[in-house]
Amino acid sequence: MERVEDMLRVARTHYIYSLDKNINSGTWKPILQVYTDLSEDKTELFENDTYAALHYLLLDANNDNSAKNIIQKARENARGVQDHITREVWEEINSIYHLINRPFVKLKLASADALEIIDLFLKHSMIYVGVAEVTMQRGTAWNVMRLGKFVERSIETLILTDKQCELHAYDLGKERDITNWRFLLLSLAGYEAYLKSYRSTKHNQQILQQVIFNPDFPHSILYSLNQIDRSLAILIKENSNPEVPELVRTFGRIQSRIQFMDPGSVVHIDIKSFFAELKRDLLDFNAKLKLLFFSY
Amino acid sequence: MANEHFLDQYVHRENTWDEMYDSKNIRQQYSHVFSMLKNLDVDSMSNRHRLAGELFLNQGITFTVYNNNEGIERVFPFDIIPRIITGSEWAEIEKGIIQRLKALNLFLKDIYSNQQILHDGIVPVDLIASCPHYTREVYGIKVPYDIYVHISGIDLIRGSDGKFYVLEDNLRTPSGVSYMLENRDVTKRIFPDILSTSNVRSVTHYPTLLHEVLLDLVSSQVSDPYIVILTPGIFNSAYYEHTFLAKQMGVDLVESRDLVVDNHKVYTKTTKGLKQVNVIYRRVDDEFLDPLVFKQDSLLGVPGLLSTYRKGNVAIVNAVGNGVADDKAVYTFVPEMIKYYLNEEPILNNIPTYQLSDPDALKYALSNIENLVIKNTNQSGGYGMIMGNTISEREWLKAKSEIERNPRNYVAQPIIQLSTVPCFINGKIQPRHVDLRPYALYGPQGIKLVPGGLTRVALSEGSLVVNSSQGGGSKDTWIID
Repeated sequence: MERVEDMLRVARTHYIYSLDKNINSGTWKPILQVYTDLSEDKTELFENDTYAALHYLLLDANNDNSAKNIIQKARENARGVQDHITREVWEEINSIYHLINRPFVKLKLASADALEIIDLFLKHSMIYVGVAEVTMQRGTAWNVMRLGKFVERSIETLILTDKQCELHAYDLGKERDITNWRFLLLSLAGYEAYLKSYRSTKHNQQILQQVIFNPDFPHSILYSLNQIDRSLAILIKENSNPEVPELVRTFGRIQSRIQFMDPGSVVHIDIKSFFAELKRDLLDFNAKLKLLFFSY
Repeated sequence: MANEHFLDQYVHRENTWDEMYDSKNIRQQYSHVFSMLKNLDVDSMSNRHRLAGELFLNQGITFTVYNNNEGIERVFPFDIIPRIITGSEWAEIEKGIIQRLKALNLFLKDIYSNQQILHDGIVPVDLIASCPHYTREVYGIKVPYDIYVHISGIDLIRGSDGKFYVLEDNLRTPSGVSYMLENRDVTKRIFPDILSTSNVRSVTHYPTLLHEVLLDLVSSQVSDPYIVILTPGIFNSAYYEHTFLAKQMGVDLVESRDLVVDNHKVYTKTTKGLKQVNVIYRRVDDEFLDPLVFKQDSLLGVPGLLSTYRKGNVAIVNAVGNGVADDKAVYTFVPEMIKYYLNEEPILNNIPTYQLSDPDALKYALSNIENLVIKNTNQSGGYGMIMGNTISEREWLKAKSEIERNPRNYVAQPIIQLSTVPCFINGKIQPRHVDLRPYALYGPQGIKLVPGGLTRVALSEGSLVVNSSQGGGSKDTWIID
């Protein structure tokens, strides 16, 4: 569900951006590259067709990573653990699942009302978060949900930031106007927070500081890692599995790397390699997490 | 006839410049929008109209009407069909406004220092001496970079000859820019396909430009400049705009009670202690700004603020005392100012204006009232305006005696048939009169305009009064290439 929410926010930002002249080329290519495994040829087919791109991203049954498929899987998961989640959480996921299968969604998404549909699901994603927050007991199920949510969020933030830097040819020495970064900040729901917290015009450094190191920004990598740390500590407290220490060490290395890194140095390092290594480590941690908690 | 498309029912007014129609044909700039709208029916347009209203309501872009002790939230009327201006027309408007602002800014610098323009007899001394907005308290104050008019909204109208004229200058705290931005956002929702295929210039960078102008006013020795927007508070009709701009720029929105002056410096009271303010973008009028200098009973101002301003320890945007330059009587002399300060001919012309302090002009105005509009020089927002062709005999007798008692407070202008644009009202497309308020930002780097502005619409049939306080609405304004 976290991925759906992130994807919707990115789609919404890009959709609105694509309507503004001179700001963005309007191509959906970067978004399709981030969220799908389409071949180069197929990406070219969709990249300049807003409605085709939106359909593929959100509704296409053949796209494993479409919002529709993710919601379906989330519903299956929820159905399987109904004894661990509240009735309200189950009902919210179930209602989103039925909503995305209603015919009007497809029709409207293919029309000038596409934004209405994106907003509708974005709103439901946030209602889902609120329902879980209000009704769930802070026990094992809650912490498992949080682990998944923040692992996903840290990877999403990382991938989107990497993509933005790639669009800047990884040249962070060249100072860029805020408009060049606005897409990333809006996609991470951090534009207003950025304007409020950072004062100088060194946007490259400040924005990377916000999205990677800011412990108070809910979409930063460090914030997500700190949340993972809290839930992981609770989950492993009474777990004597021999694989736990290795999982903790793996996570500790990632968290320490970000926590104790000099934020000011980020524009001077090889940022491409940095992101690649961090992504590899996060995926490795995620794999170990799955192995420990969900494999039998 | 029953199957006639709603667009085909449009009948524009005689002897009026219609923005969409050139006598019988659709103007080039409207042809694409016209053909796209042709694909929509009345129901579809009505749905978009309804959606626009809901979006404004949900975002809190409303004002409250009190009835039987109950507050009813109303949205400012928005017409969904955009007003379109060509890139070449815009280039002329842009040049004209930049020229005008340069002259007005030089006038303000002059009038609060050497007053050379008075010594040279270009502007009458009496006119300035009798101007209630001339602020003697700021005489001699040096403002950063000699810029007085940081933010302005110059009201333009298009006459029946198709030319743009300046209706009035707003150099104090012009409002409405948030509507320009929100109108565009709403258009993105209701007509995304038309907008994306119409080559419309973007206006979204306005808050960034404004923030840059405010930052540039701070001395380079200040490493972490602190900017605030000073609002009169939640009951101000433009409060939504104050919060909007604060959010879009990431600056603090403060009220007078949040500020304090100590040792000629202004501070904001924060939970971490006092924090020095470098720039105040004030949305509070001059006379309320400092109770030690202006209105003593003002609760909207900050005691001691003017002394801080005089010391150069804070920049106030717009400068204090700008009202003298947008006085409706001083307006008449702006073309002369342009020639005097810049040695150029005005690019944008004024509307012919009669100063009623001149006995001949007064006599003419009183005997030709049916062809004139009389404006109170001390009021704005459409208040104090007399439309000579619609005023009742009784109202006129009352107004006339007031004008005769104090003619300096009035100017008269011929009633100009403002241009019309197509509006979607009550399921029909109808012509309505409009003006245009482009917004300009004047900083150390020069004067910049965002390509667009607020088109204000007189929603009542035949009305020429576009002010929102008088029942006017607005439209998204597209500058297309």
